[in-house]
Amino acid sequence: MSAPTLRHDRALAAGLLLYARSRTVPRALVVLLATAGLAVWAAHSLNAHIDPDRRVPVVALAPLFAAAVIGSSLHTASDELDRTAVRPWWRLRALHLLALTGLAAALLPVAVLGHTSVFGPPAMIRNTLGGTGLTAAAATLVGARLSWLPAFGYVSAVYLGAAGARGGASGVWAWPVQPEGGTASWATALVVFLGGGALYVARGARAEGPRS
Amino acid sequence: MTTAAPSSPATSGEPLSTIRVAGLSVRHRRTLALDSVDLDFGPGVHGLLGPNGAGKTSLIRVLATVAAPTDGRVELLGDDVRDHRRRAAVRRRLGYLPQEFGYYPGFTVREFVAYVAWLKEMPAADTPAAVERAVARVGLADRVDAKVKTLSGGMVRRVGIAQAIVNDPDVLLFDEPTAGLDPEQRVEFRELLRELGTSSTVIVSTHLVEDVAAACTEVTLIESGHVAYRGTPESLTALGEAAGGVGDNPIERGYTAALRTHRASPAPALAVEGTAR
Repeated sequence: MSAPTLRHDRALAAGLLLYARSRTVPRALVVLLATAGLAVWAAHSLNAHIDPDRRVPVVALAPLFAAAVIGSSLHTASDELDRTAVRPWWRLRALHLLALTGLAAALLPVAVLGHTSVFGPPAMIRNTLGGTGLTAAAATLVGARLSWLPAFGYVSAVYLGAAGARGGASGVWAWPVQPEGGTASWATALVVFLGGGALYVARGARAEGPRS
Repeated sequence: MTTAAPSSPATSGEPLSTIRVAGLSVRHRRTLALDSVDLDFGPGVHGLLGPNGAGKTSLIRVLATVAAPTDGRVELLGDDVRDHRRRAAVRRRLGYLPQEFGYYPGFTVREFVAYVAWLKEMPAADTPAAVERAVARVGLADRVDAKVKTLSGGMVRRVGIAQAIVNDPDVLLFDEPTAGLDPEQRVEFRELLRELGTSSTVIVSTHLVEDVAAACTEVTLIESGHVAYRGTPESLTALGEAAGGVGDNPIERGYTAALRTHRASPAPALAVEGTAR
């Protein structure tokens, strides 16, 4: 590699690191790791081999918490200065969202490994994607700091009110508590992730601060 | 609205106006912050005066390309900023100090200024030296590796000034830069303003009329979304003496006299304020 390219790569790495720190990504990584650890512990203490439905709280709540952490990390401390950037924001936003979502989707299924059929890794990944889509959309519409709230409200309502809802239309609206395999719940989660993610990548988090 | 040609820096071949604004209107929900304003600015230091809520910050934010105008045309350095590719080119040559800016958590002064330089896509090879230079120019060389949150309010403001000048901009926009600076720092800042104004177009919004008298080559007074007065600090002072404005020093008398003259004159634009253009 030639010297200018190397210098360019180093500057890019240094800039990306500053970007990550400006969004408290390091803190988000630590909390995501802790969430995954907690999920493993919770899943093991549930004795889920007796009844796989006992995993529902872990499969519904751990991705929700991860999504809340990711949503909060979309907050910027200086929206006004960010807006003066020449560098296109959509790339940084997409990288940020995909990297953290990918990490969460890779870590959380560890908690439910070995149980593929009902509330196993696929359900965990589905809920991580759907939850992150919700918080990303909320960050765009209400601001990153409160982005966890709509997702929390929705998933809690579904979990409390419709934990047993199966099949039919409930596959669409009760996607976070579907056991597995249902194409409806997967399709909904993917649409939410792609829609919310695209909205955030295009528009960025809603300005929060002295001027809003 | 006529603009006197800037006296010192405009050399032949250089455009006289680096900023041209025509029919600029800015609306925040139902209030009209700027009402069809025409202005242009050339190299030099321009003071932007006016009461609270007059539209100074709205004007600066539009010029800084962080807010979009409701209506009208804004040309910076010869480029229309509505086109996003041209806007990017303009931003490379633009510096902006917001009235309030949060700071990124845990950043040192050096990291803060370097991050803004990176966002502005400055050449990587020049950045470290440019950061050092900008921080030294605002007198914070000895605090370059201090965390921003450990600094006093006046120092944070100077960090803001450093990030605005790190790319040696051709257009510099300062919104209330002297708020929180002590008298000695203000004197030093005016010195920096004069130095920057020899090559760049600097617009300074302020409530401190003395800053304008001391450091500006031109004055623009804004009142409820309209341009109330344009001239030099000297002409504003002369107006104050002639019209007998209220104030404790000549330029303050000029400021109040110009405001009152503007308020007393029939303002047709105010009558149609409700009709959006």
